[in-house]
Amino acid sequence: MQYLLIIYSDEAFSEPAAMQEITAAHMRLGAELQETGAMVGGNRLKPSNTATTVKTSAGVQSLHDGPYAETREQLAGYYLVEAADLDAAIAWGRKIPGGPNYAVEVRPVWPVPQMG
Amino acid sequence: MSPVNAEAVLAATVREAGDRIRAALAMRFRDLDMAEEAFGFASLRAMETWTRDGAPRDPAAWLYAVGRRRAFDLGRRAKVRAEAQHDVPEPTPDPETIAMAAFEPIPDERLRLIFVCCHPALAPEARIALTLRTLCGLSVERIARAWLTSEVAMQQRLTRAKGKIRDARIRFEIPEPDAWPERLDAVLATLEIAYGQAYEDAAGATEAADLAAETLRLSGLLANLLPDEPEVLGLAALIRLAESRRPARLDAAGAMVPLSEQDVGLWDNRLIGEAAGLMRRAAGIGRSGPYQLMAAIHAAHAARRETGFVAWGDIATLYDYLLSVRPSPVAQVNRAVALAEALGAEAGLDALAAIQGPARLAEWLPYQAARAGLCAKAGRAQEAADALRRALALDPAPAERLFLVRRLGELSA
Repeated sequence: MQYLLIIYSDEAFSEPAAMQEITAAHMRLGAELQETGAMVGGNRLKPSNTATTVKTSAGVQSLHDGPYAETREQLAGYYLVEAADLDAAIAWGRKIPGGPNYAVEVRPVWPVPQMG
Repeated sequence: MSPVNAEAVLAATVREAGDRIRAALAMRFRDLDMAEEAFGFASLRAMETWTRDGAPRDPAAWLYAVGRRRAFDLGRRAKVRAEAQHDVPEPTPDPETIAMAAFEPIPDERLRLIFVCCHPALAPEARIALTLRTLCGLSVERIARAWLTSEVAMQQRLTRAKGKIRDARIRFEIPEPDAWPERLDAVLATLEIAYGQAYEDAAGATEAADLAAETLRLSGLLANLLPDEPEVLGLAALIRLAESRRPARLDAAGAMVPLSEQDVGLWDNRLIGEAAGLMRRAAGIGRSGPYQLMAAIHAAHAARRETGFVAWGDIATLYDYLLSVRPSPVAQVNRAVALAEALGAEAGLDALAAIQGPARLAEWLPYQAARAGLCAKAGRAQEAADALRRALALDPAPAERLFLVRRLGELSA
């Protein structure tokens, strides 16, 4: 089953040496995911001040400058992994590097029905 | 066999082997809903069949075989429905013949099931409800009553938890060594919360005795299944010691009796003895922890049965150890009370004043109740009465309310 590992991190944190180490750790994690065949995909996102939200209220669409939720920790990136079960997916989630404050949400992906 | 007899055999079988059968079904099919339905079906079938033909030689194996067969059918139907999208005829299970042909030993999957139900990815209140429902077979209505919520709300909570286990695919295995401490902590915390609920509830009535009995049984089961985990033994001992005092916790008028004033003759010696054995085994393993420390504190109180006095100094020291590994406002309040007994009321009041607890300590019942006791002991009747009035305003349970009202009466007398 596939799981989306969604990274929420504190955008205010930008200590250069630490950021470099975190980036390197992401590269290592990516390599490990590739080697074990667990990697399906993943991306780092640009900061939330680049986000635009298309909102629909009562059927009417409008644009908002900014992310969907104004929270301290913002969606910063994700990995899509193949894992046997939630525990295995959580184990990958624990390995995701970050600054002093961040969270990783682990969500199973709704499987696409197999045809034929 | 008369229906009454069939029912009696069924009840005894469920009591003896129900948790084992439910766990084996859940693990075999990796589906808690299906296991529940299959077990319910087998119980119904048992009533009909045993009334007609008499009870089988091995009623537990019969229930397991019929439940297993039912789960197979349910699984096949679900699969057919998912793939073909058309109705299939109702299967006509023939449990009697199947049961004859397909007896197999019931595997003991209870530990695995406990770890599934107490998975840390589930909210703590969902874990305990799931454990009591799935493993112990407690009714949703009974669980809802214990948690002061409606049956509908509890059913939703259970459905959500089972849905998460299925949809997020929580592992149906004993945890790996690296995950073991976290997973075991989640199990122990679940049992602790369950017992806490049963204990608190029972302050007012004997209503929660069945819930307490289930957690007592579960903790004993866990101690049997994991005999080398000292904290498991510690928790089992702790629950036994607390439960040993149930008959002494209320007086004739229904008022709470404080631990150090309880009639030791009313304590349950069998439970105290079991606890002592568990604690000896835990100590032999040589890894201390919060549950063993809490059990040691309760055991120190239990020793009054033999010695006639409470070793308050030792208890205060045990609270120091406990606070160093698991700080909590409750332990701080209890430590202050122990210090007051060991060193004098002023020492206790100082300790109470130093508590860095809940933000609004003044609105916390255990704090005000302890403060009232210590002020009275220090001869500060006015402050004691004030604390009692504050405590009474914080909605104590009926038994504690009676106790506090009586103390207030004694002060003004």
